[in-house]
Amino acid sequence: MNHFPGTWGRPRDDVYGPYDSSYLRSTGPKAHTQSPAVTGTSVIAVKFNGGVAIAADNLASYGSLARFTDVKRLRVFGDAAVVGFSGDVSDMQYIDRLLESMDIRENYSAHGNQLNAKNLHTYLSKVLYKRRSEFNPLWNHILVAGFDGEKKPFLSSADLLGTTFSAPHLATGFGAHLAIPILRRLFPEERPIEEITKEDAIKALKECLKVLWYRDARSLDKYSLAVITQEGIEVQEDQQIEAQSWAFAETIKGYGAQTV
Amino acid sequence: MVASHGLTGMLGEDGIHVDMNHLKSGEVNLGTSIMAINFKDGVILGADSRTTTGAYIANRVTDKLTQVHDTIWCCRSGSAADTQAVADIVSYHLNMYSIVNNEAPSTQVAGALFQELCYENKDMLRLVLFVNWYTGIGHLIYRCSAGIIIAGYDPRHGGQVYSIPLGGSLHKQAYSIGGSGSTYIYGYCDANWRENMTEEEGIQFVRGALREAIKWDGSSGGVIRLVVLTAKGAQRHLYLPDTDYTGPGATY
Amino acid sequence: MTSIGTGYDLSNSVFSPDGRNFQVEYAVKAVENGGTAVGIRCKDGVVLAVEKIITSKLLKPGANRRISTVDRHVGIVSAGLAPDGRHFVSRARDEASSWRSVYKGPIPISALANRLGSYVQAYTLYSSVRPFGVTSILGGWDSEAELAVDGQVGSGPQSGAGGKVKGAKSGGPGLYMIEPSGLYWGYYGAATGKGRQAAKAELEKLDLASEKLSLHDAVKEAARIIYVAHEDNKDKEFELEMSWISSLEGPTKGRHEEVPKELLEEAERAARRALEGDDEDEEEGAKGNEQMEE
Repeated sequence: MNHFPGTWGRPRDDVYGPYDSSYLRSTGPKAHTQSPAVTGTSVIAVKFNGGVAIAADNLASYGSLARFTDVKRLRVFGDAAVVGFSGDVSDMQYIDRLLESMDIRENYSAHGNQLNAKNLHTYLSKVLYKRRSEFNPLWNHILVAGFDGEKKPFLSSADLLGTTFSAPHLATGFGAHLAIPILRRLFPEERPIEEITKEDAIKALKECLKVLWYRDARSLDKYSLAVITQEGIEVQEDQQIEAQSWAFAETIKGYGAQTV
Repeated sequence: MVASHGLTGMLGEDGIHVDMNHLKSGEVNLGTSIMAINFKDGVILGADSRTTTGAYIANRVTDKLTQVHDTIWCCRSGSAADTQAVADIVSYHLNMYSIVNNEAPSTQVAGALFQELCYENKDMLRLVLFVNWYTGIGHLIYRCSAGIIIAGYDPRHGGQVYSIPLGGSLHKQAYSIGGSGSTYIYGYCDANWRENMTEEEGIQFVRGALREAIKWDGSSGGVIRLVVLTAKGAQRHLYLPDTDYTGPGATY
Repeated sequence: MTSIGTGYDLSNSVFSPDGRNFQVEYAVKAVENGGTAVGIRCKDGVVLAVEKIITSKLLKPGANRRISTVDRHVGIVSAGLAPDGRHFVSRARDEASSWRSVYKGPIPISALANRLGSYVQAYTLYSSVRPFGVTSILGGWDSEAELAVDGQVGSGPQSGAGGKVKGAKSGGPGLYMIEPSGLYWGYYGAATGKGRQAAKAELEKLDLASEKLSLHDAVKEAARIIYVAHEDNKDKEFELEMSWISSLEGPTKGRHEEVPKELLEEAERAARRALEGDDEDEEEGAKGNEQMEE
């Protein structure tokens, strides 16, 4: 060891030659999170006559490892809205706390107005956009379900870039590929929402969760489901996907010519 | 000699070149098997004792169970330097908490503090750049740089176990396993876990699980250390490999 | 006052030769002119009440609240200079939110009282500031449930340890009063403002230390005490403002809320009846009531 701490821990230049630092960009821009760690998969939601139904499974994955199987990704905000989170769980917890502190502040003024789902979505999409503009995104894709200022059912999404999107049914992650086609077939665009009952909506979500359980390798058969109506929010956690179809596996033999 | 470093790193105020990536790649790591469980009267923490630098065992009798308050302890996995720093900071805050509020902190408070540090500094605690000194080829590798399990006992809540994995999320769990060795014992733990075990059964469970983790994970090894946290306080246990982890058992 | 002309009362933070800080004592005078405020601590909750003097017919009845919420589980009412009271509440909210950002949970009432006590005391130390012209009553409820970390996911084991220990006593009501000097104590019953002497006398009769009074009865007692305290200030009209915080099983579920209109009016009617019973000569009830029902 010599009197040049900057050289400590490095191979000696006089023996090995100077280090080729072109592979390092340590003087480059500050690097923030470039990928999520513990993640939740799809969230799916449907509007129906007089409300919105939203569902997500209870899994938090760590890569392909099904690490936590009791993670509730539907977070209730006041008595007005439910936010469904996919993506990074630590960022979900951060946003959850952000919403909680906002809820506390909103209740200081006794004007009696409460933030509705639409307000909440606007706020969250702006938080997400601000963070992506700082190159430090909150790694989530969220669905906000509830009511707007006119007391009409509201459903909208916002992603980690701050992109927003609204539709009578929405899904994040794998659900966007697997659930949306099912929901579109069940509830075509030309069919008015007034014709869709709460039971229809719940049944459709359960069907979508089942398909996701069959086809999404990061999904779980335990899920949470929330129904938001003017009467309030009903959340069912620790639900189990039922009526699965597996027995037909018996008829599958070999991968071509084989019959036994 | 110093001049040649002008190409890399940042020039600090004192003229010393600081290059975090060079520092990080030589780091001492806890390729580890750690766990904590709830049992009838409290919690049990357990860990192996191997610390490695690459394939070299830098310390074969490491103590990865760290006290942050009287009956709040944590298991550290990942970078030894990072997790020690985090534990030291939390320890300081809990100490202050108990003085200012004239009341011992709950396990929740410890969990919240650990999470804040892990979440807000996740960029520093996650990616590790491995650089081959001689070819200069670098590649980014995910490595558990700070995976912490917190377990504590307080008279109000009893025993509790919290886990903070890589991104800095906080999970309350019945039992928690972590570190590189944990991936080999998910099946063992799931199959053998029962709620409300006695202390004896709890110790058997933890010891049995860590024994398997050590067996299959090259980065875990050495002795098994346990800490049992109950209303009576903290008690350490030690189990040695040359007796097939049967003893000596409870130390002081 | 003995201080007049001595010069020791002109600057804050300066002691007089006999060890008094006159600016703080003058701040107490400001408090003594304010509408009476009381707080009652019961086993199952805390009630706050204030006599809000109507300073102008042009003020909207029921508006301009004097009791404020801090976080979700704490209420603060002040007697004295209203703007000082508002600044004090603002500081309390900042303290509660800073506690939350560090510890991910609600601030304990005792910790909040401690921080606010220190804050107020600091305003007696510098010549560049004046002390707070308020005495504040701080009431709240520390949750008796198993506390979760804000944003928590996962739930630990289904049974046994890893949750709340059966029978372990935790949480409960908290009531503190903080004075312009920064002095604060925890109380069973607290009163400040113009009618504090009468109010204290009434509070003492309630035997609050035995914790037999229920929260509902405390609401009625608080209303009555404000009416009693107003007796010496009858030339001015007032509104009664009340809030409460109950246990998790109680009506507010651990939150600080306004006392519901029906209960408030019932308590006011009972208060007026009690006063009439006490003293036959008295004029029928305060006119404040008519204001409330507009």
